[in-house]
Amino acid sequence: MSCSSTEDLPEQYKELFTQDGVLLKACIGRPISDLNSIGMLCIVQNPDSTKCIEWRPNDLITIDSDTQDQEWAVVNTIGRRQRTLSGNMTSDYAAARARIVKIPLDELKTFKVARNSQQMQFSTKPGIWQNTFYFQHGNAEVFVSQLKNHLKTAKTRHDRNTYVVVEPNTESQVLNRSFAELDIFTENTTDVVWGLVSNFKQRPYETTMEAFSKLTDIVYYGNEGLNGQRDVSDEVADLLTKSMSALEDSTSVTKTEGYEVISVKPTLPPRPCIPRGTPLSTEKWEGLQDTDGRILEVEGVKQLIFRGGVAHSIRHSVWKYLLDYYPWNATHADIRKIQKKKTEEYFSMKLQWRSITEKQESRFSEYRERKSLVEKDVNRTDRTHPFFAGDNNPNLMVLQDILMTYAMYNFDLGYVQGMSDILAPLLLLLGNEVDSFWCFAGFMEKILSNFDIDQAGMKQQLLNLQQLLTFAVPDLAKHLATKDSENMYFCFRWLLVWFKREFSFSDIMRLWEVLWTGLPCANFHLLICVAILDAEKDVLISGDYGFTEILKHVNDLSMCLDIDKILSTAEGIYHQLISAPHLSDQIRIILGIPTASNKNPEDPSDTDIPEQENGKPESREMEEVTLEYNGLQISVVTKTVWALLA
Amino acid sequence: MAKTYDYLFKLLLIGDSGVGKTSILFRFSEDAFNISFISTIGIDFKIRTIDLDGKKVKLQIWDTAGQERFRTITTAYYRGSMGIMLVYDVTNEKSFENIKNWIRNIEENASADVEKMILGNKCDLDSKRQVSKERGEQLAVEYQIKFIETSAKDSVNVENAFYTLARDIKAKMEKKQEASNPPGARGGTHQLKATDQQRKPTSWLSRCSIL
Repeated sequence: MSCSSTEDLPEQYKELFTQDGVLLKACIGRPISDLNSIGMLCIVQNPDSTKCIEWRPNDLITIDSDTQDQEWAVVNTIGRRQRTLSGNMTSDYAAARARIVKIPLDELKTFKVARNSQQMQFSTKPGIWQNTFYFQHGNAEVFVSQLKNHLKTAKTRHDRNTYVVVEPNTESQVLNRSFAELDIFTENTTDVVWGLVSNFKQRPYETTMEAFSKLTDIVYYGNEGLNGQRDVSDEVADLLTKSMSALEDSTSVTKTEGYEVISVKPTLPPRPCIPRGTPLSTEKWEGLQDTDGRILEVEGVKQLIFRGGVAHSIRHSVWKYLLDYYPWNATHADIRKIQKKKTEEYFSMKLQWRSITEKQESRFSEYRERKSLVEKDVNRTDRTHPFFAGDNNPNLMVLQDILMTYAMYNFDLGYVQGMSDILAPLLLLLGNEVDSFWCFAGFMEKILSNFDIDQAGMKQQLLNLQQLLTFAVPDLAKHLATKDSENMYFCFRWLLVWFKREFSFSDIMRLWEVLWTGLPCANFHLLICVAILDAEKDVLISGDYGFTEILKHVNDLSMCLDIDKILSTAEGIYHQLISAPHLSDQIRIILGIPTASNKNPEDPSDTDIPEQENGKPESREMEEVTLEYNGLQISVVTKTVWALLA
Repeated sequence: MAKTYDYLFKLLLIGDSGVGKTSILFRFSEDAFNISFISTIGIDFKIRTIDLDGKKVKLQIWDTAGQERFRTITTAYYRGSMGIMLVYDVTNEKSFENIKNWIRNIEENASADVEKMILGNKCDLDSKRQVSKERGEQLAVEYQIKFIETSAKDSVNVENAFYTLARDIKAKMEKKQEASNPPGARGGTHQLKATDQQRKPTSWLSRCSIL
């Protein structure tokens, strides 16, 4: 669709990406005469949908000089290919292909970038680099980033420039695999509880965190869902090292003759390392519903999701609750009613714009513009993903219909760029047009201010982010201020579409469902930003990066981020903040926790676990347990701890 | 770090959503075209150092989101730019009409002496053309701005456009610096061809002409 000029040509081979200025330096099995010639490196899709890397020499590409001045020069096919960069192959191509180098993607094992991004080597057999290419413009990383759209790769431990192909990057495979990896753990309940209790005495902080992460597991599900494979002692060791180094960082020792002067800088408490949990499983989810289908223990469910996300197989169901399409307390009968009502409502809104005739449209410029804006974006939304790939893909039509209908649903807002990014994973997961629409509408409700006409919501978030960073990572905030970057504009893309452009589909689904829970505090997505920036701060500061370098570095992080690590860090930062004695009201307001002036320590809503909506009687008896670990005070409310100690 | 260039020029690409700003930039910076492109959210930039009359000129080219809503953010980048490419899509009448609005935007937000150039992109899609080259030329005359039709996809005039804009900025700068000396050779065709050939021997067929 994006290449309308080729729509009517038969589909055979398709160039997905082309890059000029690439020399063939070495190729096993080719005569020397074939080497050192300039050409273009492409990623090509074969008629059978397999893909390969192809290098084509430029000297096969000739243009008939007599016809240069014509509007469409009559060129031989190869020549035209270079100019049109999309289209199809003919028999001429077959004749010329002797010098073409092909590397099927499903055979590719490793590849390597060397010499300042000027050289790339490919290998389909371990130990042998079959092909070496030289990039005239020193931009091999451009090719690598494109290649990553089609392959799942991992960098090798010993060499950051060598990539190992893990598997062809089809989303479903990735998802299936991660689901298969989930194992529903069963272990004797008493052992688990006893283990926790004894750990609690010896390692109160770690055990509480661990227990906290399994809050609902213990209280609601007994022996289900505990991941017994995690080695707690490793984590404790980790935590101790971290705390020690944090203490060292904050202490400067001045040695003078005979005695030492030790001064302690004001600093945040050490950051706890909080392990991620396992995803909410089918069994648990089903067990959470009463016979009529109502979801019990909503806050417990949210806690579980916050800790470990949702198993892929039940996302299509759970997301509808998280995105306020279904109320948590709806029965099966209620849901059927809601579905019916919402379906009618959707189609009546859809009909509103569908019934605008062409003639009406010709006299309705605002509508026309809105429609064309939607069309343009739909045609460039996640087209590398199999679900949206290819011309005339019916899923693009659904994407378009939902976005147009949303413009009817929220007429004042209309369509704003970024919305198609928000919708794409929802549609991919839910499949159904009506469900996707209502979940999209629910998601939009949470991020509506991102799309304000005056961008006030975005500006406010960037400001809040800057304030959080100043408190949580002051050295980086200081660096940004000296580089005129405290406006945080380089985080704009992260915030506008909630990191959609930074992660793969499977990772963004995980991140979003965690954020939708609204736990553990308001604006947790800003702490995600802080967590990412915190991990990069050494590079940014030691490299003395200015505004442009920071922007480039941040933009280049896309698809290189570890979602679990970031979530864990963000939660650690959250605990650091709320337990900091000098936490300012400004930060409290951003995080949605009561300000110091009106804080009531007896009020359970003060803590990070909101009150139960429709909980059991004991939820009223929640207690706040304050633990001290390495000078870090942690308030944990905790039915778990309470239950364990009872 | 040693300075590897003589001049640093900050350029900016603006124009309606979907006219091909990112594709133009990608063609110029990487000499490549991507069939599955994505919309630009926020801002991004690319760098390419070119040789201009014996001087190394580093071009830092900023790419922006096109939708009007994001202008409050994107206009922040107007101020430091020395050259602005105004891009429209020859197959989209509205994007052409909006060039006037974009020019007003520049007047309000950019420095007064910023060099400008209008690009009519997607000139390869002749069957879908809604804006003739003549109308583009006319608009350019009206605003006294240089104009050229381009195709990022077919690599038509993209190099040419950036070299022209860079050369104009350089000339203006040198004129300012050495008010006593007349500006250096501006005619440029010879130089333009030479550098272009260096980079890509088979290309540089100017199908669309420069005003």
